[in-house]
Amino acid sequence: MHGPLSDSVGASAAPLPPSEDPCRCPGPASATMSRQTLPDSGCLDLWREQNDRFVRQAKMAQDSGLSLRRQQLAQDALEGLKGLICTLQGIPAAVPVLSLELTVICNFIILKASLAQGFTEDQAQDIQRGLERVLETQEQLGPTLQWGLRELWDSVLRASSCLPELLPAVHHLASLQAALWLSTDHLGDLALLLQALNGSQTGASEDLLLLLKTWNPPSEELDAPLILQDARGLKDVLVTAFAYRQGLQELITGNLPKALRSLHEATSTLCPRSVLVQVYTALGTCLRKMGNPQRALLYLLAALKVGSACGPPLLEASRLYQQLGDTAAELESLELLVEALGVPLNSKAPQLLIEVELLLPPPDPDSPLHCGTQGQAKHLLASRCLQTGRAEDAAEHYLDLLALLLDDSEPRFSPPPCPPGPCMPELFLEAAAALIQAGRAQDALTICEELLGRTSSLLPKMSQLWEDARKGTKELPQCPLWVSATHLLQGQAWVQLRAQKEAVSEFSRCLELLFRVTLEDKEQGASSSCEHGCKSDVVRQQLRSAALISRGLEWVASGQDTKALQDFLLSVQVCPGNQDASFHLLQTLRRLDRKDEATALWWKMEAQTKLPQEAATWSLPLYLETYLNWIHPSERETLLEEFQTSLLEPCDL
Amino acid sequence: MTQDDGDSEDGELPFPVIPVDPGTCVLPNAALCTFTVLDGVLVTLVEGPAQWKMQLFERPCPGQDPWLGGQIGEVELSTYTPPAGVPGKPAAPHFLPVLCCVSPPCSRVPHGHLWGSGSFTLEETLFGLLFGADATLLESPVILCGLPDGQLCCVILKALVTSRLSPGDPKAFVKILHHLEEPVIFIGALRTDLRAEEAAEETLSGEDVRSDCLVALGHHGRTLAIKASWDQSGKLVPELREYCLPGPVLCAACGGGGRIYHSTPSDLCVVDLARGGAPLDAEQPNGGPGGLPPLLCPANLNICSVLTLSVLSRAPEGGTELLALSTKGRLMTCSLHPHTEMSSPAQMTMANAGEKIKELLSGIGNISERVSFLKKAVDQRNKALTSLNEAMNVSCALLSSREGPRPISCTITTAWSHLQMQDVLTATCLLENSSDFSLDQGWTLCIQVFSSSSALDLDSACSAITYTIPVDRLSPGARREVTLPLGPGENGMLDLPVTVSCMLFYSLREVVGGALAPSDSLEDPFLDEFSPDVLPEQEGVCLPLSKHTVDMLQCLRFPGLAPPHMQAPSPLGPTSDPVDTFLETCREPGSQPVGPASLRAEYLPPSVASIKVSAELLRATLEDGHLGTSLCCATLQWLLAENAAVDVVRAQALSSIQGVAPDGADIRLIIREVAMTDLCPAGPIQTVEIQVESSSLADMCRAHHAIIRRMQTMVTEQAAQGSSPPDLRVQYLRQIHANHETLLREVQTLRDRLCTEDEASSCATAQRLLQVYKQLRNPSLVLL
Repeated sequence: MHGPLSDSVGASAAPLPPSEDPCRCPGPASATMSRQTLPDSGCLDLWREQNDRFVRQAKMAQDSGLSLRRQQLAQDALEGLKGLICTLQGIPAAVPVLSLELTVICNFIILKASLAQGFTEDQAQDIQRGLERVLETQEQLGPTLQWGLRELWDSVLRASSCLPELLPAVHHLASLQAALWLSTDHLGDLALLLQALNGSQTGASEDLLLLLKTWNPPSEELDAPLILQDARGLKDVLVTAFAYRQGLQELITGNLPKALRSLHEATSTLCPRSVLVQVYTALGTCLRKMGNPQRALLYLLAALKVGSACGPPLLEASRLYQQLGDTAAELESLELLVEALGVPLNSKAPQLLIEVELLLPPPDPDSPLHCGTQGQAKHLLASRCLQTGRAEDAAEHYLDLLALLLDDSEPRFSPPPCPPGPCMPELFLEAAAALIQAGRAQDALTICEELLGRTSSLLPKMSQLWEDARKGTKELPQCPLWVSATHLLQGQAWVQLRAQKEAVSEFSRCLELLFRVTLEDKEQGASSSCEHGCKSDVVRQQLRSAALISRGLEWVASGQDTKALQDFLLSVQVCPGNQDASFHLLQTLRRLDRKDEATALWWKMEAQTKLPQEAATWSLPLYLETYLNWIHPSERETLLEEFQTSLLEPCDL
Repeated sequence: MTQDDGDSEDGELPFPVIPVDPGTCVLPNAALCTFTVLDGVLVTLVEGPAQWKMQLFERPCPGQDPWLGGQIGEVELSTYTPPAGVPGKPAAPHFLPVLCCVSPPCSRVPHGHLWGSGSFTLEETLFGLLFGADATLLESPVILCGLPDGQLCCVILKALVTSRLSPGDPKAFVKILHHLEEPVIFIGALRTDLRAEEAAEETLSGEDVRSDCLVALGHHGRTLAIKASWDQSGKLVPELREYCLPGPVLCAACGGGGRIYHSTPSDLCVVDLARGGAPLDAEQPNGGPGGLPPLLCPANLNICSVLTLSVLSRAPEGGTELLALSTKGRLMTCSLHPHTEMSSPAQMTMANAGEKIKELLSGIGNISERVSFLKKAVDQRNKALTSLNEAMNVSCALLSSREGPRPISCTITTAWSHLQMQDVLTATCLLENSSDFSLDQGWTLCIQVFSSSSALDLDSACSAITYTIPVDRLSPGARREVTLPLGPGENGMLDLPVTVSCMLFYSLREVVGGALAPSDSLEDPFLDEFSPDVLPEQEGVCLPLSKHTVDMLQCLRFPGLAPPHMQAPSPLGPTSDPVDTFLETCREPGSQPVGPASLRAEYLPPSVASIKVSAELLRATLEDGHLGTSLCCATLQWLLAENAAVDVVRAQALSSIQGVAPDGADIRLIIREVAMTDLCPAGPIQTVEIQVESSSLADMCRAHHAIIRRMQTMVTEQAAQGSSPPDLRVQYLRQIHANHETLLREVQTLRDRLCTEDEASSCATAQRLLQVYKQLRNPSLVLL
């Protein structure tokens, strides 16, 4: 029990604490005691009993299976603790009661933060109030009003060195302050606090992890009031959370050896399973980037064995196999990822304690551990199939994806979100490209028609204005790029079906849309100077060139070489650096026997290949890349060499 | 315009009450603000510490833990600043966000139809324009959300599927459509293209009207309307207009024909978004088929302070019917005839002058309603003050008269009565008002009954039963009688003694609560929700009146005494079964009684206890009560003073009596005079010995306890009067005292042993304990 209170009576006979408004405190009847006297041990026991009861109630809530009951119990305990804090802070601060008061504040913060799943500004204020109460006993009230938390902690720790009975409670509060600062990334403040707690001089050690590990909070007395989570437990949580946070940060900034060290530290602590999966996956990522694929694979396997959430390790495994060039394994892990993400995550209700997860940074889509949704995974699988030349599989996966997305009865399935992945129209276009690649032109046409049909209301009033545009009375309105791209793909599908007339008309429509837009764009070009506009300009340029080449190829196929020549010439003009366009032009010139022009063009091409190719900082949409592969002449190099010999020989002679 | 109050339909079918128990709770969350349901997906909006959070749950079932995979999506909407509580100013009224669901126009699967204005369908062009190509391609419903800070944002429902580990990125999922800069009160949609609407109504069944204009109303009347139109080059562009309507807006609804009805505290207004469109601005070059009017002229309907509004249907002659609920709780249907709707305030002709006068009269009617409302509030306050004053007087009168008869008293008497085949001990509380003040509305008589297990410890109220009886009106001099059953209960047991305590409770909430509700709620009904917090629950004044302990002596019945009609009809005790009674009467006279009671009577000697009191002390207590009878008779009468049989005892001058305890056991009271010789050196002391005998140990103990209680009172009273005891032989007293000390010590050791021993030996210990207790009950001491 606490000692007699007589020694602190002198200090507490001072007037009311200045910032306390007694009317605001709805304390129980016991609070109506005289304010000039200290509570006797009966009151102290009563409050202590109340604290213990609320803590037991919170623990009971934790064990309660019913979520409603759990919520009510926890909420009641929270309200009770709040009322108790009000009661305790309604009397002048005195050392024997203060230890209980700080414990109640700690319990309140733990329960509040775990219920809200995060810290807020309120908790910082609760801590601050507790610190000010400690200083009140030291009669150091004056200047503290303007002090920040850091100064308050300094003076409290200095003061509490002469109040040994307060030390456990102060360290407990400090552990919560550390958790708060860790979760809000105030690492400088945290380091100073830990140095002060360890009693070391400033600047003794900058390594936060070491500071955390060396900190030894004094153990609670056996008869101390009940606490939800003791300082040692909190310290363990802090060590794990900090090591993992630091490792992840170093991993993102690319400081791999440091990341590896921190992550290893994290694995050596008491790590909950869900966090352990993430730590192992991060280790896998780190080792892959460091060029240790085998060790990375071992960690990923370990992560899968922990088995609470298989998404991140599977995605990381697919990246690893992609780096190793093992396409089969890569696609297999992606397939598993799709399956794993389809299983609803049966997570437990969080504990009513400060857990490691609570102190981790909020999930970030750019983090290497982000594995996205099932829709994203399915799209990744389909696009990887398309990229690696498994057109049949790609087509099937794309069709699956579209079917799931458009099915109303699948609320669990969502499209890949727009900015990182493609928007829905691009998804349709990729599907069409995959179908064409797989030789299913008819299906591709259906997809394209579906796309245009579904968005017809969004498009400018084509049918009305088309005629006007033909007559030249009105400009065609601006139209999204993907509409032109749809026509382009439709044309290619007709090509595959050997319907030349339809193909040419689709290509023409595509070109018409693409070229009309330029005039519009020129007017507002200045406004769209952003990166996005720049990228879409490049895409438009490539689309134009692709459409011209495709139409030219159709003319070639039907033997109308002059028309083809015109289109190829245009495409070279539109996209001067395009080697494919130049090659097709060269072929046509040669066929038409216009040798001088052909030679000139060849020299130009030779000069271009010697120029350093500007590295593309962006990548073209997948459907366009696939398309460009189709019109890429297959034996370009051999034909060029052959041309070189046939063309240059007469010159040498 | 006609109004039709719902009062006339009062007599119609009373709606069944459906109890909702906590097991049906789907989502326990204290921060939940609003929700909507679509196709088995529950969309909720939760107020987080710094932002709004939209959450999606798939087919939530009651009782199921929402953590178990029910949640399928989550996104944070925006940062918001909680209403700042400036110390001087009252907190800003708390507005809730508005959620509504927009169905895609071309959905092949019909979406579940929703309640009221919670959902609507937009035309393809407007839908695509507002929500983008993705929503159109996915044919996904869109959740529109109007926040109290004025943001109007949308979330594509199908896109919002996230894993628990990663809530959605707001930038990817949430699109902010507009910022109204005042709390959003209403989001709705309507059709402004009337010609198209008429055409549509012929083809479609009418319920699936696709709206071509989205509207949002802010609290201060700022109104946003968005339509889709085409610019000069034929490009699809949004046409967006803001209007200012009279505020503060309480609620709104969209009606047919492009009309928005919105309610303010002073009036219900209608504006027409369709008018001023196509027909008037036909010459406007590129206005398209239905441009929005540049200005809105609200027309008043003269109905004030409507809280909720619903457009029922279009009447056959072209009018509209509204269902409105006013702040006063009036449910009205309002039929709007087409010509009143079209009336424009600018054009006043002879033809509609009469109509206008009618409207003015209706307005006067509304004002007078408001006046009567305010008057009623003042009356209510006055009444509450008067009542408080009376209560104050009553409390003062009761609390100041500690000595002497109290101005308001409650006397408690007990009696046996026969209820429902069972004898029941009833307590009758007689509340008597002999003060000058009357007890009015707000007072309740609380009677608490503590049974014996808790009678000694009044703090544990758990086993106490409290009866609350409202004292409707008790004027000076009036009395009210309340009778309540004390037992025996279901198990046939009556735990004596029973303490009955009466108090008066004055409920402040009941009297003052109504008057404190703001009467000016018409000004800002959003303040209404703060009024109940002024008074905490169960606040009131409690005045204790009296306390009465019912013990064994009061509950004894004496079937052997005449006259028999005064006694309880069943001599076998209160719980006797009719069958038993029958068997009892059929038994042959002279044969042995059967049953455990008679067996016990035969083989177990009755338990006995005795108390000795000096005759002098008794005489002093009874004073002149014993004149004419012997001291023994007078003592018995004194003991049974509160029993119904006391008159018979007095009449027959009995000095011993045999009675029946509530559970049917026999109890004998024998009173005789005994002279104690060796106690006092001056000579023998005349004492009265009261002996209790019963076949039931428990009943004997209860009776003994009751007698001791009376003795205690008597001795304390006599001590207060300063009577001096006679000279005693101290040595002898010491001897007796020492004997008792040894016995008590033995009791202590025996009880300790009882706790630790096993069953066999504990039986012997218990036997011994009973014997010691028996010795203790027959002391050789005497009360002097």
